[in-house]
Amino acid sequence: MSSSEYNKKIFWKSLKEYHDDPAVFEAKANEFKEGVTDDFNPSQLNSLSRRKFLAALTASAAFAATACTDYRDKGEIIPYNNRPEEILAGRANLYASTCTSCSQACGILVKTREGRPIKIDGNPEHPTNKGKICTKGQASILNLYDPERMTDPQNGNIAVSWASADSDIISALNDSLANGKQVALFTNAVVSPSTKKVLDDFKAKYTNTKIYSYSVFGDDTRRAAWLETYGTTEYPSIKWEEANVILAVDADFLGTEGNFIENTRKFTSRREVVNKIDVNRLYVAEGRMSATGMMSDYRIRISPSAQFEFVLALANEVLENSSVTLNAEVKNLIAQTSLTKFAGGQSKKLSHLVKDLIANKGKSIVYAGDTLSKEVHLAVNLLNEILGNTALYDYSKVSKSLQPSSSNEELHSVADAMNNGNVDTIIHFDCNPVFDLAKSFDYAKALKKVKTVITLTEAENETSVLSTYSLPINHSLESWGDAHVKAGVYSLQQPVISPIFKTRQKEAVLLTWISGSSSVYNDSIYHKYLIDNFNSSIYSKKNSLADQKTFWYSALHDGVVEFNETAVQNSFSQVSFVGLSLPERAAGNTLHLTESYFIGDGKFANNGWLQETPHPVSKITWDNYASISPSFAKQLNLEMNDLVEISVNGKQLTIPVLVQPGVQDTTINIELGYGRKIIGDVGKDVGFDANIFVSLLGKLVYENISIKKVNGTHRLTSTQEHHSLDDTFVKDFHRIRKIVQEGTVEKYKNEPNFLSKEVKKHISITREHEYTGTKWAMSIDLNKCTSCAACVVSCNVENNIPVVGKDQTANGREMQWMRIDRYYSGTPDDPITSNQPMLCQHCDNAPCENVCPVNATNHSPDGLNQMAYNRCVGTRYCSNNCPYKVRRYNFYNFRDHFADAYYENNLTAMVHNPEVTVRSRGVMEKCTFCVQKIMEARSDAIRDGRELKGTDVITACQQACPANAIVFGDVNDEESDIAKIRNHKLAYHVLEELNVKPNVTYIAKLRNTHSEEVI
Amino acid sequence: MKRTVLDYALKIRLPLTLFVIVVSFVLTFYISRAERDGIGYAPEQPIKFSHKLHAGQMGIDCQYCHIGVEKGRNAIVPSVNICMNCHTLARKDRPEIIKLTQYYEDGKPLPWKRIHKVPEYAYFNHSVHVNKGIDCASCHGDIKEMEVVNQAKGFTMTACLDCHRKPHENLPYLKEVKSGPEHCAACHR
Repeated sequence: MSSSEYNKKIFWKSLKEYHDDPAVFEAKANEFKEGVTDDFNPSQLNSLSRRKFLAALTASAAFAATACTDYRDKGEIIPYNNRPEEILAGRANLYASTCTSCSQACGILVKTREGRPIKIDGNPEHPTNKGKICTKGQASILNLYDPERMTDPQNGNIAVSWASADSDIISALNDSLANGKQVALFTNAVVSPSTKKVLDDFKAKYTNTKIYSYSVFGDDTRRAAWLETYGTTEYPSIKWEEANVILAVDADFLGTEGNFIENTRKFTSRREVVNKIDVNRLYVAEGRMSATGMMSDYRIRISPSAQFEFVLALANEVLENSSVTLNAEVKNLIAQTSLTKFAGGQSKKLSHLVKDLIANKGKSIVYAGDTLSKEVHLAVNLLNEILGNTALYDYSKVSKSLQPSSSNEELHSVADAMNNGNVDTIIHFDCNPVFDLAKSFDYAKALKKVKTVITLTEAENETSVLSTYSLPINHSLESWGDAHVKAGVYSLQQPVISPIFKTRQKEAVLLTWISGSSSVYNDSIYHKYLIDNFNSSIYSKKNSLADQKTFWYSALHDGVVEFNETAVQNSFSQVSFVGLSLPERAAGNTLHLTESYFIGDGKFANNGWLQETPHPVSKITWDNYASISPSFAKQLNLEMNDLVEISVNGKQLTIPVLVQPGVQDTTINIELGYGRKIIGDVGKDVGFDANIFVSLLGKLVYENISIKKVNGTHRLTSTQEHHSLDDTFVKDFHRIRKIVQEGTVEKYKNEPNFLSKEVKKHISITREHEYTGTKWAMSIDLNKCTSCAACVVSCNVENNIPVVGKDQTANGREMQWMRIDRYYSGTPDDPITSNQPMLCQHCDNAPCENVCPVNATNHSPDGLNQMAYNRCVGTRYCSNNCPYKVRRYNFYNFRDHFADAYYENNLTAMVHNPEVTVRSRGVMEKCTFCVQKIMEARSDAIRDGRELKGTDVITACQQACPANAIVFGDVNDEESDIAKIRNHKLAYHVLEELNVKPNVTYIAKLRNTHSEEVI
Repeated sequence: MKRTVLDYALKIRLPLTLFVIVVSFVLTFYISRAERDGIGYAPEQPIKFSHKLHAGQMGIDCQYCHIGVEKGRNAIVPSVNICMNCHTLARKDRPEIIKLTQYYEDGKPLPWKRIHKVPEYAYFNHSVHVNKGIDCASCHGDIKEMEVVNQAKGFTMTACLDCHRKPHENLPYLKEVKSGPEHCAACHR
């Protein structure tokens, strides 16, 4: 292939586009979707709902009051009575804490302004996540200000005082102790040593207590397999940064599994093309299409139910010359397998894989996904032993196990005990088992037989409504806590705001019950407990010269304490393979249930920012779906949005399908966490509850399922097809417009100038703009971007971006300033995906600026394409003229419009960044390169009497990017990274030929395949 | 030629009416300019604090009370504890100081009436201006002579731009000063 052909790589964004559906071309010819203004019915805008009526009532009262006052009155300035020394109005304070959004406990820095938290970023000093934090962690701040948080303790539906609830519960606990009945305490995974100690104390006081710990998604199978092969549940971390070859076996280690923020950092440190070529090779063997699969150099389609056999077949191929001596039984098992069974058009990829694994013994890693069965994990452990990859196990950072998860047998026996009346008190310790637990437990029914059911929760959920007592607990940002997830790393969590409602720290509630008297409670009961536990367990370990108090405060300041902790490192045992046999594989379809990328197991379903973040692969928002392969869809005559009925073990679910390129033909993938029934207005009935299929906790792959088409459709809303690029000139023109440019490592080695070879010099008829001082610019390394969307959510929080809802997203009115475009190339069955974060390019010759009739958008002398909201009259000409389609228009005051003004209230308004205008209806907006951060850095530079440097400014997206793909700075500073990157051989601008001179540079992706051609 | 009613209306009545309208508009516009810009606004404060006494006669530096003005956007109106630095001892018997002490002891914040205000969509930054050596009085007037503080100058975009464009005329005491930024994002975001 010549190099000109080479760059004419054919990209397609959806299957419809691939098949040249005329509807797609028609849609693209229009800037906004057909019928985008249809629902502008003025009478509808005024329809009066309950919330709006109340708002009107208060507003009219306020008007009446203000009408009588002095028109010159400018209100009041109310300073503190006694100002806390560290708080200065207008300056942000940062507090180190620990994230509790999942069980990984990343270190966070919480930014507070005038005492209210407004942003969560990663803590740079934390050894695990090193200053980065995922979408859930960042968006969890919205849950703090959720108007539907539970505000008071409730007995049934009646609000009661904490004192009366406490004394009732204490007497109920004493009764069960006297009657010899069981008290069951349910909790999710426990990662806090102090919480663990509270639970143990509780058990010591009420000796009839049993603690049940469970999680829908987690590392339980990995631990179980590790226990069988290495005799301990504490498995080591992986040194991703040292692996030359990685095989992910249905493992979404860059998307949802493990600490994917840490994984992403380590993995992408080996996707370096700018300063040197240092690129690992990623093979992904999976059935569904995951975020990790999109990053792969070679993607092998294998059903999740065949993975056990696949891994053993690989072992069979690489067994020769291995230093590991295998038992006869294991040998026999492996010998039964054959890789040819999996070839099916993928034999070339498989032979590359085998060769690479053999050539990189001790420098490669095979990693199994959390959702797979224990047998696959056993096989993967074996394969890594055979390959000598144990060198990449990091035993200094093993995953701690504080509270072992309960087995399915234990959970079944407690459900039986509940049904038999042997359990008379149940405590749900911040968990939602009615929604989470496998349906075979029939937990909701069993709960009815229990006399006292107590649920500690932040907001009403499926479990709390079935409880005798629902007790409101503090949000993570109002709580004390600690976490010990990895060996040698102890993180501290501190409150950054006092409880907004009458909520209590969940551990403090248990401590009150342990004490036996409701009057014992005070605000600092758990705080003191935590310090005591810290002193006895951590301070004593460190041999610090500082006294206890100083040490505590310095640990609190840093948010983390590191110490040496030795881990058990046993040799490999093959005993667990005895009795294993290759399963009889049925020919039917396999259902693979996975975790939602953004709302997790459903915990974050009421978070509008997360519901609206487009899925990394499908770009669907506000829904889950069954994703099936294109050929399977053809076979069943299915299209996107069609409803299907899926039955597994007698349970049926009707769910829309999404035809997802790249899915293995017999695999159906559904994400869990959706379909919550009892939750706030945002998450209620969003998506479909596929938890009904889970018959055993931890079992997420179901074979031989049936699927059939049923009548009807359900509209899935995707953000991908709208904002398509204009292509009216010539059909297919956009496919060769070099929006995404890619190469391979081989190609680059042989021909480093392959990108710039064809670039023509553009001649301007106008004079060039001169930038004498600072000139801001950004670069995005497409080799590193995993499409995790941390940047999108970070931008949402920093820049007060509203939630618009599913109906508005369907109209193409999503407001996110940053989007991640996903392009497919290759064939629908075996696509190659490319991701490209797209934001305002701050063009030097910005086309939007010329067409604004009121000069609301224009250029600043430091190269920013600025947007003055107050001048904007909303003609939308600028958006029409933008070649990148990155401008966003406020078709409504979305805070008022979304879900009956759900987020338009005094509580949620507290999440707003006071440095950024809250835009209203009729105003155009877009990325500003975080001008508020530039201005803050500038004022700090002036204060310190120094020149402003490009590196002083870190934009929100850059701060969030776990892959460090984004660089921002001053291009006029020749020593800066950004100036060097802009002149790099692999740097290009999107739509360069328009001569708009964009200031966002992309680094072309180099795929690490064996050929010089991408496809 | 006969004078008709139409002639009268067109030649005399109409020009007169227009003249009166234009003159009254122009007069009102210019006369009320200061009023509309809030100049001279001097509301009654909850405590009769005299800047003339403190800043003028006693010569206390502005930043003794208005701390943080060189660090951030806001020039902070002092919290009650700053007043109490002196008034736990000084002039304890005066009625206004008794009122102040009451606020402090009750832990209640003092609701000062706001005098100077830029609109919410303009992000004025005190520290940038103060650190460039611009005197408080250049915008806030001669506070040292004010018994009751009033707004001395306009806080409009015109006023901002006038100084940003012609700093030497407005700030003659700053020899080295450069013109201020005039692009939108300097104040609006």
